[in-house]
Amino acid sequence: METVSAKVAVNGPEPVKSKRFRPRNLFYHLFTAGLAIVMLYPVIWLLISSFKESTSIFSTAHSLVPDPWIWSNYSEGWKGIAGQPFLTFIKNSLIIVVLSTAGAVISSALIAYGFARIPFAGKNFWFACMMLTMMLPHEVVMIPQYILFAKLGWINTFKPIVVPHWFGYPFFIFLMVQFIRTIPVDLDEAAKIDGCGRFGIFFKVILPLITPALATSAIFSFYWRWEDLINPVLYLNSPDLYPVSLALKLFLDSESASNWGAMFAMSVVSLLPVIIIFFIFQKYIVEGISTTGLK
Amino acid sequence: MKFRPKQDNLAGYAFIAPFIAGFLMFTIIPMLASLYLSFTSYDLFSSPQWIGLDNFTEMFTNDEKYWSSVKVTLIYVLAGVPLRLAFALFIAMQLNRASRGVGLYRTLFYLPSILGGSVAVAIMWRNIFGNEGMINALLFFVGIDKQILWYQDPMKALWTLILLAVWQFGSSMLIFLAGLKNIPKDYYEAASVDGANAVQQFFKVTLPLLSPIILFNLVMQTIAAFMTFTPAYIISKGEGGPLDGTLLYSLYLFQKAFSFFQMGYASAMAWVMLLFVALLTFVFFKTSKYWVHYESKGE
Amino acid sequence: MKKVVYAALSCMMTFSIAACSSSAPSNEASSSTVTGQEPIKLRIAWWGGTPRHEYTKKVIEMYEKQNPHVQIEEEYANYDDYWKKLAPQAAANQLPDIIQLDTSYFAQYANKGQLEDLTPYTQNGTIDVSSITEDVVASGKLNDKLYGMSLGVNALTVVMDEENVKKAGLQTPAPDWTWDDFEKLTIEVKNKTGSFGSNGLYPPDVFLPYYLRTHGQHMYSADGTSLGYTDDSLFVEYFQRKLRLVEAGAIPTPDLQAQLKGIEDDFIVKGTAFMSWNWSNQYIGFMETAKRPLALHLPPGPNQKEGMFLKPSMFFSIASNSKHKEEAAKFISFFLNDIEANKLIKGDRGVPVSSKVLEGIKPVLSPDQTRVFEYVNEVSKNSSPLSPMDPPGSAEVIKTLKDISEQILFKKITPEEGAAKFRQKANEILAKNKG
Repeated sequence: METVSAKVAVNGPEPVKSKRFRPRNLFYHLFTAGLAIVMLYPVIWLLISSFKESTSIFSTAHSLVPDPWIWSNYSEGWKGIAGQPFLTFIKNSLIIVVLSTAGAVISSALIAYGFARIPFAGKNFWFACMMLTMMLPHEVVMIPQYILFAKLGWINTFKPIVVPHWFGYPFFIFLMVQFIRTIPVDLDEAAKIDGCGRFGIFFKVILPLITPALATSAIFSFYWRWEDLINPVLYLNSPDLYPVSLALKLFLDSESASNWGAMFAMSVVSLLPVIIIFFIFQKYIVEGISTTGLK
Repeated sequence: MKFRPKQDNLAGYAFIAPFIAGFLMFTIIPMLASLYLSFTSYDLFSSPQWIGLDNFTEMFTNDEKYWSSVKVTLIYVLAGVPLRLAFALFIAMQLNRASRGVGLYRTLFYLPSILGGSVAVAIMWRNIFGNEGMINALLFFVGIDKQILWYQDPMKALWTLILLAVWQFGSSMLIFLAGLKNIPKDYYEAASVDGANAVQQFFKVTLPLLSPIILFNLVMQTIAAFMTFTPAYIISKGEGGPLDGTLLYSLYLFQKAFSFFQMGYASAMAWVMLLFVALLTFVFFKTSKYWVHYESKGE
Repeated sequence: MKKVVYAALSCMMTFSIAACSSSAPSNEASSSTVTGQEPIKLRIAWWGGTPRHEYTKKVIEMYEKQNPHVQIEEEYANYDDYWKKLAPQAAANQLPDIIQLDTSYFAQYANKGQLEDLTPYTQNGTIDVSSITEDVVASGKLNDKLYGMSLGVNALTVVMDEENVKKAGLQTPAPDWTWDDFEKLTIEVKNKTGSFGSNGLYPPDVFLPYYLRTHGQHMYSADGTSLGYTDDSLFVEYFQRKLRLVEAGAIPTPDLQAQLKGIEDDFIVKGTAFMSWNWSNQYIGFMETAKRPLALHLPPGPNQKEGMFLKPSMFFSIASNSKHKEEAAKFISFFLNDIEANKLIKGDRGVPVSSKVLEGIKPVLSPDQTRVFEYVNEVSKNSSPLSPMDPPGSAEVIKTLKDISEQILFKKITPEEGAAKFRQKANEILAKNKG
């Protein structure tokens, strides 16, 4: 097996060979940092708005300096809604997101390997079925799906939101298929010679090599579930089961004064878990285990 | 005919079993139900009435809003997808360098996409393009002192949506980045030994080896763009205005289904869209053999 | 051998997944421990903002304390999400026992057998209507069946920043002002101060019907199968006036109006308009955010009495699929009539319909709320019966009106063309209600 043991390498087309100052690097940093700031302006606006008074957020929208600085948006938002502390919503989101993300990534990897590497009858048919499920607008399957879950007695539980993700998520399956197909088959052959079966190849060769795709899927799944609004709206009735995405909208009302400040403050808070997850998983993308160590 | 490797049905089905199980349990019945509904008049509250092809003939011959939504959506997809992908690839290549601070940049660039389709984003975006918003302030700063009224002209309003899509390029960027990381370093070394410069390296090494990922992003982003709903919904408050300028296909479909309670008509719209997008995807896959390079096919 | 392992593995995976699924959290509430009456559970759904959720919860707790055998599960969301939840629930016969509805969705739910006729409950006294006027009760009727109890009433109003009007050297209007007075004042405000005279009379589906009513006509016909007004010149006059005001820069263009994010952002709150056409209940929000005195005026006439009406702000209805209709009716009665409960509600769902409640909660009202109550009371003496209820399909008619209004104000079509186009399209939509 040592033939396929991969070596970790930070790679890229132009590895920096020395720390010597180069004007090209300065230009690179100026450009990238400048672009980052332009991209970030709206994020900063969001952050700043969370320190403004609800009633003046829009009349002072052009200003990036709150006057006065208000912290109460955070304490008020954190108190939650109608006796439900905001922490409840975060907890609900975490349960939904962690369960569905773990399920989606694991099942998708298995399925992707089946599609990418094993020849079998009807493969194209099933792959086409999978692609088709992504092309039908959700709005029209919502009602039949709702009736289905109602018949199962799953309404007002996390099940309709979580369980379907344990059967593979087409976006991730397709993503991993494409990644597996960039891996030279020679590696499989080598492992086979070493006496690995299909599962052996999958776990020992494929899985380590598609770490970047797994990490990418985990990040996406995490924040897509985190921001998902329509499924919780449909399937969760009791406010004590509401996730963050739905709770944030409870601060707003079209008929009377809305608590914009608390909404912005809690939007900022609800970004934190997603950013943390991104930080943790992004290094698996960067330090993607390269096949360089082979041979 | 090419060489056909020996089939291994049992192993194949064992691996994709979860997908088939989920597909049969949760997906296929609702999908077929919506196909049936597309031939009916269904208001959600009483049982569906079979009306044959009426929904489709109404859609194609008598619904000007339908065609305007088709036009808006095509512009959105044709402008939004290439811009977003080009931008994502460009940034991914910038970030695929072993340079100091690259981790920070990656997070900074990714942040806008994390904001997703939340209410906060829509409000912020409306504000930025408002008459006294940041964009007009910037334009004033560079000497254009005529306010651009972004929400008075249907085309300009659509561009705010397209720019929002480009701004949220993070997921494509991340996938490109993961793909770039997967390209073995020795390929570049070999090219470099052959005397290829950076541009040649990009065309000779990066593009072909990244092509499966480009195909993926192209297909998925196109599908996603056709389905775009949330930004249009929250930015136009569900109306699709001004003058139907942001009335994307999905938004019109949603209005039909849940504001006007014409679920049959909405289902018909959905299936027309599915056929069109499926055809387009089929074309992408068919042409892909001319430009996508798979390692696994062997050299 | 290997094949057996695959098969076993895939089976195992499927089963373990199935097993996991049953361990996901469930929401079985413990049954209440009560003697005598059998414990029952009611589901109640409403939309609103945070304050409404908070006090409604307290009202429910109050009711549960008085009726220990009843346990009420709350399901609330904001306005948009609320309707997305309700539609699939209706399709799956899973509607909550008590549903809050407003006039725009009322007929859609009532007409299709989703709601229970409440007449038996008002007749046998389960829902106490002794202190509610006949007219108000009747506002929840469709085809002679009572599908909802109105929880409160609102009236149209023109909120005015009188101080700014005076500062500009202009006269505040007399109570019996006319549309011409309104137009003149609006343009003068613009000319003297540069501010908008008024907001954009948005949405058109609220203010066009008022104009029609002052001319003795209605938006929809009584049977809901066509438009009610016959004279297109009214439509044309109304939009010609709006177009003149837009061209003069005296009211905002539709795109500015559409950019508003909420009350905080409204022209009159920010001081960029001196008048705002709205429903009376919004006045409290305006006062909270504007933090300066604003006045309530009757919309202009002539024939204000014919034009004005008391609009049911929202209804409580009982779903036909409810298993505890009697208990649901009792709760609605409590909500309408209990003075202590209404001291918490304080007219957030419109000015209370029960005269006893109206008297009883006066001491706890804020000055702003009192002003709204007084205004609605004044209107009630100077108003006419409601127009026919918005029929099924009205949502699409309203959307068509909004589209055409936009096209007129952006000068893509003339008011005359708009009137003809609207009549043709609206009648096409409403004709589906025939038979």
